[in-house]
Amino acid sequence: MYIGIDVGGTYTDGVLIDGSKVIKSVKIETENNLSISVQQVLAKLLLNQENKNISRVVLSTTLITNMLAGIKKPPVGMLLLPGPGTNPRSQNFCSDYILLKGAVDYRGRIIEEIDFGEVDNAVKYFLDKSITSLVVACKFSQRNPFLENRIEHYIKERYPQVDVAPSNRTSGLLNWIRRANGTAFTLFVKNEYDKFMQRFEETIAEHEINCPVYILKADGGTLPLEIARQYPLESIFSGPAASTFGALATTQQDITGIMLDIGGTTTDIGLILNGIPLMAERGIYVNGYLVPVRALALSSLALGGDSAITHKNGQLGIAPRKGKACYLGGDSLTFTDILVYLEKSKLSSHPKIELALKEISKNIGRTAENIAEEILNQFIARIDEKIEEMFLRWEEEPAYRIFQIISGQETRPQTIICLGGPAQSIGSILAQKRNWRIIVPQHAEIANAIGAALAKTTLKMDVLIDTEQGRYSTNLPGLSGALSSRLLTLDEAKTFALEMFKGKCAEWKLVTADKELEDIEIIYEEGFNIVRNWQTNGKIFQIGLQIKPGLVNLLNEGTDAIE
Amino acid sequence: MQLNKTGLIFFPAFDWSISPTHPEREERLLYTRDQIFEEGIPDSSYIREYKPRLAAKEDIRRVHFCVPDVEDQTTEAHLISAGSALKLGDALMKNEIANGFVMARPPGHHAMRVVHGNRGFCNTNNEAILVEYLRRKYGLKRIAIVDTDVHHGDGTQDIFYHDPDVLCISLHQDGRTIFPGTGFVHETGGPGAYLKNINIPLPPGTGDKGFLRVWREIIKPVLTKFDPQLIINSAGQDNHFTDPLASMRVSAQAYGKLTEELQPDIAVLEGGYAIETALPYVNLAILLAMAKQDYSKVIEPQFEPAAVKQDEGITLYIDDLIRYWQDALSEDVPSKEDLFGEGKVYQRKKSIYYDTDGIRENQQETVQYCPECPGLYQVSSTARDQVGRGTSIWGLSIPLFVCDRCLEKGYKMWEQAIKEGKEQKTFAYYYLQDKKNDNYLKE
Repeated sequence: MYIGIDVGGTYTDGVLIDGSKVIKSVKIETENNLSISVQQVLAKLLLNQENKNISRVVLSTTLITNMLAGIKKPPVGMLLLPGPGTNPRSQNFCSDYILLKGAVDYRGRIIEEIDFGEVDNAVKYFLDKSITSLVVACKFSQRNPFLENRIEHYIKERYPQVDVAPSNRTSGLLNWIRRANGTAFTLFVKNEYDKFMQRFEETIAEHEINCPVYILKADGGTLPLEIARQYPLESIFSGPAASTFGALATTQQDITGIMLDIGGTTTDIGLILNGIPLMAERGIYVNGYLVPVRALALSSLALGGDSAITHKNGQLGIAPRKGKACYLGGDSLTFTDILVYLEKSKLSSHPKIELALKEISKNIGRTAENIAEEILNQFIARIDEKIEEMFLRWEEEPAYRIFQIISGQETRPQTIICLGGPAQSIGSILAQKRNWRIIVPQHAEIANAIGAALAKTTLKMDVLIDTEQGRYSTNLPGLSGALSSRLLTLDEAKTFALEMFKGKCAEWKLVTADKELEDIEIIYEEGFNIVRNWQTNGKIFQIGLQIKPGLVNLLNEGTDAIE
Repeated sequence: MQLNKTGLIFFPAFDWSISPTHPEREERLLYTRDQIFEEGIPDSSYIREYKPRLAAKEDIRRVHFCVPDVEDQTTEAHLISAGSALKLGDALMKNEIANGFVMARPPGHHAMRVVHGNRGFCNTNNEAILVEYLRRKYGLKRIAIVDTDVHHGDGTQDIFYHDPDVLCISLHQDGRTIFPGTGFVHETGGPGAYLKNINIPLPPGTGDKGFLRVWREIIKPVLTKFDPQLIINSAGQDNHFTDPLASMRVSAQAYGKLTEELQPDIAVLEGGYAIETALPYVNLAILLAMAKQDYSKVIEPQFEPAAVKQDEGITLYIDDLIRYWQDALSEDVPSKEDLFGEGKVYQRKKSIYYDTDGIRENQQETVQYCPECPGLYQVSSTARDQVGRGTSIWGLSIPLFVCDRCLEKGYKMWEQAIKEGKEQKTFAYYYLQDKKNDNYLKE
């Protein structure tokens, strides 16, 4: 049996799945202490459960999002080695930094040496400000980590009180700003994240569960807990990934459509194309800063079922909630109340709803019905805007190869998979308003936990091999080095890359059976002749490999499609 | 929307080359890609990245007589390279961006109006395709093209030689010392477009100083006077001091400076074959300058002041060149009628060599004088490859801003030509390019 838990901002959802059937599901309000929410959900799921033959536990958590909420500038110092190029002073780094000498070029050649006197001064500058966590980031450190690692060792030897991390071990992505920011955020969250993981392991042990435990990543893949502990940032925004994979698990494996997940305070919109969610390959924003975390491409709307109805100068609007909803006996007229009033919701009505609507009605001189309809239309219009944004993003995804452009754009899908609390209501409204296919799957309200439970382990690796420099590098943290053998042909390079990929899978325990290795696919392969003075001096190979994101299992309970 | 952004299409065509060791090969933009991505350029708040698209065949026919047809002269890569220019042109005209850099390959500025094959690594002229597209779709008229590639932009010159509304300026290494061997000061445009073609042939060894001086003292005043609605920069990068095919001494800094001052609306990558030592830095400097960002730290690792210093003799020569152009441009321009001369017909014979494909083309151009419009343009052309195989074609081009009389006359000529062609089979193919009605025919 599988367990999936999604700790969201408002609710924590849990699900117990046997093969392809939901045995039990739990939804509770999320506590301030997330560890307690996890404990509660797990306890409820396993209560009176005789068969405790659990083979897989996957946790998706909003912990990192919470930890970073409101953190404008993590108390981390950066030692930056920019080399030639853009002015780092105009770049968006998330922490204070000192610029140092030392540079590497795109081939991994050292083109400027380090000045260790500068390093000493920089460390002292940060120590004077009581900053003891330092990032070292050098452009092209994934092509050659030598300078970053030299500085790391130098600081470790002389300043044992300093926690120093080189950017090449956070990510090998070709984007030093993202690597630097990612490393800074990682340094900031890693201790607390580690403690949380420790408590989670203990909770699992208390329930005598003895199976692989995974953490859901932002791209919808999973990592074994002990590996995930080293890369806390990877788990950020895993909630929408859980929902997206939930949409897949509860519909069809090869579905194409918009994923619309309406939560309490936010609505997430994603795109699934033939069963593959659209990715933000380069990474995402955290608090306005770019980080190298590969994630699903999502559009988020700060509106949900709990959003409050406002009116100002006769203008109606929807804003974040302040107080308890009317249908629950509170005084805050929410979007859900509007759905209840319009009889679009299965929730039972409450006199407070009409009272609140009458109040507005009096103020702005329009009927309650009229007001409710407009609010509904506003909400739908905001969703439509985000859907359009999503389509544009998909259509304007940059492409660097001829075949990507020739294969052309598919037509925009006209299917919406509605998830979350108000899924049923919004689904039927959307179905009335347009001629699209609207799917509200069974278990729509806990599809996120289902997605977490069933998400596959995945890995994507971009390898660059430079035979003239005798080096290889990848997008994965810390994975680069010298070539031990000469690779002459693309086939030899592919074999090399594949072996490396399999090695990483083994190290990270991503595959448990040889059969899964068959899922590895090569997504691109290119060989470039390095020609100097009309002679071929070696080759550069670019190879991309991945285990596609996907599901370990599908639910077979069928779907309710509202047409 | 986001008016201050610079649009970028980066299309390295990692799956296209002329041949494995040819300078125009897959590797060409590899290190530029590395530099631009590592710098986080596509993420920057001042950049909007676009996805390339294919140009339509009509877009090509609006400019070229492709022999025998568009599909014979273009690969998908060519259509994407041209389409990338059109995409940013659209973005610019829709005010989505302040300006744009088409960093795509293959290049195009050696492709002339008649295309029998590849010359100077080019088949189709991206800038010309962009100009005609923008004029047709958005009603623009006066457009300037400033070609800063080290090679004379002879294709662009050829296409707009008789167009008074397109100002073509090319600065380049003197044609006596480098391909294509043209681009001299006396090539000033046809009689209907006199001084709408300006060539600035620079001596080998010209450095940053000379490069920027001719910009400031020749090109800038000409541009100001012409007052274009749009400026396109053919942003070749082979004036760089490390370029293996040329002999100039220009740095990324000077390219940045020129771009900053020129303020092109659209820059289109042309040549530049120092793919490691120049392209990553020059491309970045141009892009940053377009986005009004600081490019002062884009310094090549090989850079030293001596690398861009020009000899005293070169400085003196450039002084003379500047004086020549300042004099020529201040003289009174004779009337169009006088320039056409007695017969009221301009005729020119031209021999064109296609270096990549080893083709020799001989052509004769005829432009008819019209007081109302640029006049009808005819070309007959015969091309032979090294073993003597070849094709002869005839083409008639009706300009976009044609007068009614010439338009009518043009169609009569076309009817007549194809009638004669059917009887006498003088030419293998007949082409009609009616830019006014966007009508392109082939017989």
